[in-house]
Amino acid sequence: MTAASAVDQRGPWATEGVELVAAASGGLLFGIPMLMTMEVWWTGSHTTPLQAAGVLVLTSIPVFLLNRTSGFRSTRDVRVRDAVMDTVEAVALGLVLVTVVLYLLRELTPDTPISVAIGKAVYEAFPFCLGISVANHFLRGERTEGDDDEATEASPDGGLSATAKDIGATVIGSVFVALNIAPTDEVPMIAAALDPLGILALMAASLAVSYGIVFGAGFSRQDQRRQHTGLLQSPASETVSSYLVALACAALMLLMYQRLGGPWTLTLDKVVVLGLPASIGGAAGRLAM
Amino acid sequence: MTVATPTDSTKRPAGRGPRTGAEWVTFTIACALLVALAVVIVTRSGDDAPAEPVASQTGSIIRSAAGYEVPVEVRNVGGRTAAEVQVRVELTIGGEVSESDQVVDFLAGDDSEDLTFVFEDDPADGELVVEVVGYATP
Repeated sequence: MTAASAVDQRGPWATEGVELVAAASGGLLFGIPMLMTMEVWWTGSHTTPLQAAGVLVLTSIPVFLLNRTSGFRSTRDVRVRDAVMDTVEAVALGLVLVTVVLYLLRELTPDTPISVAIGKAVYEAFPFCLGISVANHFLRGERTEGDDDEATEASPDGGLSATAKDIGATVIGSVFVALNIAPTDEVPMIAAALDPLGILALMAASLAVSYGIVFGAGFSRQDQRRQHTGLLQSPASETVSSYLVALACAALMLLMYQRLGGPWTLTLDKVVVLGLPASIGGAAGRLAM
Repeated sequence: MTVATPTDSTKRPAGRGPRTGAEWVTFTIACALLVALAVVIVTRSGDDAPAEPVASQTGSIIRSAAGYEVPVEVRNVGGRTAAEVQVRVELTIGGEVSESDQVVDFLAGDDSEDLTFVFEDDPADGELVVEVVGYATP
């Protein structure tokens, strides 16, 4: 099935939704390490509104240039006018999503002053928007027809080999994204700031993002993935089991860096916090392999 | 191993049709968001009053296992951000002074932070002074 006929069959609203999920996935992949860096939160805390405006302008330039060449739309050959409009959407989407993640991490609360909120959102949006602009390039995949044929032949095989492959891909992806974050102080900081409801929200977000990246964003081989049979291969169970694998990886990384001490409740919180970047990486890993 | 083609030209259809209704809706929402943000930035860019952190006791003193806990709020009533805000509470009982200090890393304009100071002796027996003793420009 070519991408064009997939677009036609889905209808304009679904297509738009899928493209936005694709954009969000790219943004999260690039932006999550910065979203868990305290120095960026601090810089945002003392940013004047004028500096924030400057950062927004600076963000727009590479985003526009990247949208001209890759972007997040499912078509290529983007004209200048379209690239400008995509840039507006990418920047707005980036700002909205980093605000959501900052709320999830309790770095933004209803009490936060507006100028601080703008400063933090704008600085975090910069790498996020870059990620949105390269979402296609990195996540849609550069596969030849030959690769797809191999995958089609492999999936009826189903069963344990597909599951093992998914687990391996999740592990590699989780480690790739979350290893940088595992030894840092932000993990216990965020864990300490979250109440049980916040932890649950983080888990729900991790599952939603994981599902969205692999099954919702219109990236490579998605229809084949939906048809996978075998152990833990339906989309829902694959998402949940991959999340558990990502959590296990997060726990192991924290253990390796000797960051797991303290009461078990804090340990659980830390694992869930690191589980967010781990599950994003795990989802990207499953896409890439 | 097959060699991947340099672009994803095999997958994405070339060229775009006219923008669909859905795309116009998202573009309009995105525009509105950015315009609103620009308005907020412009209206707040005059907020350049110097930083003014002020500390005050909020609420009554609590007796706990740690000692006597004094709740204090430090608020920056100015515009610019203050860094390294040092808040000091002094308790004077019968000539003897005991002090407790805390430092707040960042206090943006209009932002406030809740602190708790702990003393061994009951502040009701003496005199409590709550003040900001210094801060830095970030």
